[in-house]
Amino acid sequence: MSFRISTGRTVAVAAAFFCLAGQAQAAPAAAKVALADAPERLDMVPPAGPGVFKMEKKGADRFHLVLAGHKFTSRDDVEKYLAWRAAELTLEQDGRWFSFIEARGRGDAVAVPRRDPAGLRYSFRMEYFRPVWRYRLSGDPAWKSWSPFSGAAFFADGKDAATIADFEASADIALHKDQMDDADPLAFEAGAVSDLLVNQVSPPQ
Amino acid sequence: MRLHKHLWFCALAGLLCGAQPVSAAPWVRGYVVATYEYAFRYGGRAGFTRGSEIEPGVDCPHGSTVHFANEDETRRALARQKWRSRQEIDWITKPPGLGQARAPVLTRFFIWNRAVSYRGYRRGIETYVNPFAAEDPGQPQVVSRIGDGFNLDGKIGTRDFVSPDGEKGIDNALYRAWGCDAPWRGNGNATLDLRANDKMQEGLYTMVIRISGNQDPMNDDNATVEIGYSPDKIVKDARGNVAPDYSYRILEPAEYTRLKARIRNGVVQTEQVAQMHAPRIAWFYDQTGDADFHQGRIRLKIADDGSAAGLLGGYRDWRDLYVENAFAQDGGQQGIREHEDHVALYYALKRNADGMYDPRTRRYQGISTAYRITAMPAYVVDPDKPMDIPLLAGEVDRKAAFEAIRAATIKAVTTRVPQDVPPGTTEAAVPTLERVIVDLPSKDYFLKTLDRPRYPEEKAANDTSNRRAANDGKSLALAGKP
Repeated sequence: MSFRISTGRTVAVAAAFFCLAGQAQAAPAAAKVALADAPERLDMVPPAGPGVFKMEKKGADRFHLVLAGHKFTSRDDVEKYLAWRAAELTLEQDGRWFSFIEARGRGDAVAVPRRDPAGLRYSFRMEYFRPVWRYRLSGDPAWKSWSPFSGAAFFADGKDAATIADFEASADIALHKDQMDDADPLAFEAGAVSDLLVNQVSPPQ
Repeated sequence: MRLHKHLWFCALAGLLCGAQPVSAAPWVRGYVVATYEYAFRYGGRAGFTRGSEIEPGVDCPHGSTVHFANEDETRRALARQKWRSRQEIDWITKPPGLGQARAPVLTRFFIWNRAVSYRGYRRGIETYVNPFAAEDPGQPQVVSRIGDGFNLDGKIGTRDFVSPDGEKGIDNALYRAWGCDAPWRGNGNATLDLRANDKMQEGLYTMVIRISGNQDPMNDDNATVEIGYSPDKIVKDARGNVAPDYSYRILEPAEYTRLKARIRNGVVQTEQVAQMHAPRIAWFYDQTGDADFHQGRIRLKIADDGSAAGLLGGYRDWRDLYVENAFAQDGGQQGIREHEDHVALYYALKRNADGMYDPRTRRYQGISTAYRITAMPAYVVDPDKPMDIPLLAGEVDRKAAFEAIRAATIKAVTTRVPQDVPPGTTEAAVPTLERVIVDLPSKDYFLKTLDRPRYPEEKAANDTSNRRAANDGKSLALAGKP
């Protein structure tokens, strides 16, 4: 699989993914520039272990982010870390804000958030950062999925966290460099999100 | 041919005569600023309400902000903190036994003040010093396209305003960010505009402008505008208006700038300068100081009666704007009283920032602003000998506390490491709540549950007080008294 980066070079990347948190070996030249600056912002948060955070560039400004772990703590912990990585990625790419692209499917019951240009404006609304999940329970080799848009209760609610053998939370985001569209409920100002979360997050294991 | 030559001569003479100014002698005009406020263009209808909306208009379709305006609004603000229990939210919103308190309105006010001062992602983080650590509560923003100000960046952007007289590219992002904020929105009746102007006219500070040139005061291509602080209090007439024709000294170099200007038909347009220093809006002494505009400029229209009106503009560090607004007293007190939420104002400033880009942090540190002024004619003179801006001795401690909390806040938002509230402020209603809550039956719950700043010297004072009380007790016991 290959993708085109801003320098115009087409780079082949094994398994289509490359990792940012200290796993720069597969990063193309453009990403290396960002990585050189990354420690300044990343040093307040412990680095993620190998394979924990992965991202795939999909188009000019769009990224698919995946956070994987096998020691589940809480939904809040995982989703906040993923949101923080989304914000950091935006800043590393000289972006100012990102929009969250909802992964909705047929039959989803949760209402789509609507623009309200005359209403309140926000720098972010964390309740609308809603990644989709995959998980595997111990003793069961099959992966299952859970969508925040389905209307079903979160898969880990009422479960012993130790029974969750593996999990993945994933999100698609689009980066923007212009003034933020703060009437968009799915818009997140990267600097504000990073500031809010930097003291709260740790990478999952 | 002779006629043609004659006409040509007359035309040339006329042209030469026309190029001469009406008068070509040195001239000076002085002004004392009578009103000074953000150039926010009001779009509502005074006194009109629609449901719970206050004066909805073309600027703010749902009217002015209503943060903390009632129990529902306060409950909404508190419910954002997931660490609060349901009981805590219920009790703060409606303190049990409030009717038995001697001053129920004040008691609830200061309970709310303390509660909303701690809205961070965990307990113990004071919100107004650390606004970045709280979720964004949301802020209504100006949606109309017409706004006052200057084209500061020389560009016409999609989000720029159009001036009332049709000029495009107006940069006044502060208006977009804060123009719906209740205390700054109004048709001459915005509460903080009134308060700030009242304090200025009562002597808190004085701003003066001196314009000079060598041609004609109404048309001069090479004029000079000076703006600065005066140590002389504004003189008012018997009707309470700023009186014309009094003398004011202008001080330099602090809060002072000299700019080149061109005057056309009484409209004074200054050059744009990298930094323009002038007094800033204040309604308490602790807030007073330098506005420090970047890429600043001034436009004034001289009226036939000798008065002047116009705009100052430039980019201001949005962190300064936040601090100046939040800590005049304390963030909770002003927020509840004025129905504004400084966390929302913080985020609105940050996302609307459009100038003073810092390549190191990759963030905009400035926001475009415009300030509206009116001014009365005055004699603006140099002091007999150079002097500094005088200090108000009785307010020095409070000024120091303001500067300390300003430094703590800027450190917090820059480093993203939550900072403590420095001593000397009244943040979180310390110590007012302890005084007003004494006869509330549920006081122990609030004093135990709600976070508040703790100061080392307070502990020392309490220790001393306790020691003294213990010693007094011993003395009384030794004396055989109860």
